[in-house]
Amino acid sequence: MTIGKSLPSVRSASAGRAGGVPPSAPPPRDRAVSRRAAGGRRAEQLAPFVLVAPAVLILVLLRLWPLLLGVNFSFTGDGDRDGAMVGFANYVDLLHDPLFQQALRNVGLLVLLLPVAVAIPGLLATFIYLRVPGHRFYRSVYFFPAVLSPVIVGAIFNLLLSFDGPVNVVLSSVGIGPVDWLGDPDVAMFAVVGVHVWATFGMALVVFLAGFATLDAALLDAARVDGASLAQVIWHVIIPSLSRTIQFVFVTTMIGMLTSMFGLLYVMTSGGPEGSTYLPEYYIWIQQGQMNRPALASAASTVLFVIMLVVGLLQLKLLRRAGRED
Amino acid sequence: MKQRAVWSAVLVAGLALTGCGSATGSGSSSGGSDKKLVVWDWKSGEASSAQYVEKAKADFAKKHKDVEVEFVAQPFDQYYTLLGAAIQSGKGPDVILFNGGGQIRDRVDSLQPLDEYVGEDRQRLAGWEAFAKGGKTYAAPVTLQGHPIYYNKALYEKAGLDPAKPATTWAEFIANCGTITKATGAKCFALGNKEGYGIQFFLSAMASGVLTPQEYDNWIAGKRDWNSPNVKRLFELWKETGTAKLNNDGANSTAMFNDAFAVFQSGKAAHIIGLMSDIGHWKDFNEFVTPEKLGVMTAPTVTSGATPSLPYDGGIGYAVAKWTKDPKVAADLVRSLTSTDALKAFYANAGAITADTTIDVSASGPAVTTIVGALKTGKPAPHVALSSKSLDLMGRLSQQLLSGSTSVDEVVKQMAASDTAG
Repeated sequence: MTIGKSLPSVRSASAGRAGGVPPSAPPPRDRAVSRRAAGGRRAEQLAPFVLVAPAVLILVLLRLWPLLLGVNFSFTGDGDRDGAMVGFANYVDLLHDPLFQQALRNVGLLVLLLPVAVAIPGLLATFIYLRVPGHRFYRSVYFFPAVLSPVIVGAIFNLLLSFDGPVNVVLSSVGIGPVDWLGDPDVAMFAVVGVHVWATFGMALVVFLAGFATLDAALLDAARVDGASLAQVIWHVIIPSLSRTIQFVFVTTMIGMLTSMFGLLYVMTSGGPEGSTYLPEYYIWIQQGQMNRPALASAASTVLFVIMLVVGLLQLKLLRRAGRED
Repeated sequence: MKQRAVWSAVLVAGLALTGCGSATGSGSSSGGSDKKLVVWDWKSGEASSAQYVEKAKADFAKKHKDVEVEFVAQPFDQYYTLLGAAIQSGKGPDVILFNGGGQIRDRVDSLQPLDEYVGEDRQRLAGWEAFAKGGKTYAAPVTLQGHPIYYNKALYEKAGLDPAKPATTWAEFIANCGTITKATGAKCFALGNKEGYGIQFFLSAMASGVLTPQEYDNWIAGKRDWNSPNVKRLFELWKETGTAKLNNDGANSTAMFNDAFAVFQSGKAAHIIGLMSDIGHWKDFNEFVTPEKLGVMTAPTVTSGATPSLPYDGGIGYAVAKWTKDPKVAADLVRSLTSTDALKAFYANAGAITADTTIDVSASGPAVTTIVGALKTGKPAPHVALSSKSLDLMGRLSQQLLSGSTSVDEVVKQMAASDTAG
């Protein structure tokens, strides 16, 4: 889009300059000079293309071309049928694989949990903005987990959540039976998502704080003068003013959930128990690395790409409509 | 912002798809020239393998002075991903280290059959079957991998049992476990089934006590009757270890490597089905369970007519890639890598039961002697005969059996479907 917009503006500027008489241009004397001038004009016309070429080339060569190769690869076979075109066979396989279905169901679960994952940093940022006691301390503490690698976070929570780990010890001391956090298929996905939110909300929090910096303080004062409660201030002043920030956090959080939970899954559950914590990216890795089915993995990647595209666009559309109503 | 979403998505997909491309990027390390052989493994980087590599290189230099050998150690957790990418591009290493069973069988299309080169080593080395497919051998075994049932003699003594006489029948075994748990609080089995490895080890260790020799051989030969009463019995035993609380708590969330081994080492469980080589074996355990306190028992007999034996296969072995310039030279390197001298160094330093059965192991304690003594009557491990896809499925089903969310009938039904499809 940036490229699309910049092209005509650059061209019209250069055309204008070539059409007028530049003060420093020498008057035409003979053919050679005019030819040179024509060459210069052409060079000037070409200049914008040359200038945007590196960006376009990088995008095409390193992003679009591999994407197309991958999509193309997903229509070929694995193993005995390596390299042969198999049409949609891989996609049919995917649809019939209960593991991939589970992975897609988990994506659905993530979408449902998304508002929670956005609300937590949003609320905490609001409290910090409203200067609750100790807000400076919280601001740095909240961000701390965001600098830890998922592998470290996973290892820490593996210890905490293990069957005989400290969390269960605390629970049993208050009379709640031990929960097999990472071994119970009904609990494990929530445990991993919880840890992911814990590990990443700091980044969203910072984005929210940046959003608050643009908030018009006069509106807040006006609301207070009018006697609005905290809930009313949040609902009628803060949320509408921050709608763009919220949009941004929604999309980045969703992308983060779908694409960067691999480390946590790998360390904490290995997709288990009973395959209950599979996500498409983990499925892709298993198929490519463990099952030796790279073409099937490509098909899964393509599906994940389409899901991301659809979910992202839908979210933007919904949020934009909500923003307009305000 | 819409653009951001789109580009992020493109980037994600691009990264996922070009993962293949970047993996092959280690240009110098793939594709040897006429005078150079490139070896891929996940071992040569470790200090304990240094002497082994050195000995193998020296042996190879005697035969081919002018050929340079480069060892490239890859991280094991990404090994097959990287290798898959190299195979895809047709420009991989010349000599490749493989795990026996599914990992090599899935990739024999890219490998050179070695039968004509390794004839002389046939008798000296054991474990060839794990590297064969369709009657052809694709790699020479370096180590043997198997699943002995280790037990903690100290716990047996504490419970008043004779550590020299472990149970020979399942009923006796369960009774002994009851006694041990009562006297010491230790569980019967240390089990880690988070990744679904627990069932693989259990299946292989117990199968010879449940299946008749004929059924066992048929299983290995690929004629598996999943609905036979004895196969069902195996999965019922597995379920029983869960319902009778024979395993440590939270087995489905305990990692085999190395949490389950830690449970055994710390004396919290009396038995563990471990490994013979590399990890989770006699040498690892000896840190806490000293050699004289560590016992190895044969599988308890469950059905009459079964003859318990040690399940083992070729563990890791070197294969030659199809695209190598001169297969004869590459095969010579494989032979050097499996020479007695080199393997002796590997046994001594890395703590592995090597494929060379002529090496003397008596210095390492009774457990090792028992294992090596059982090699002669041993048979291939049943789980190794299954495809990676079936193993993956079995892992998930086994977790369901332990948590009680599925039945043995449903498990054998799904396993049969996966086994015939793969």
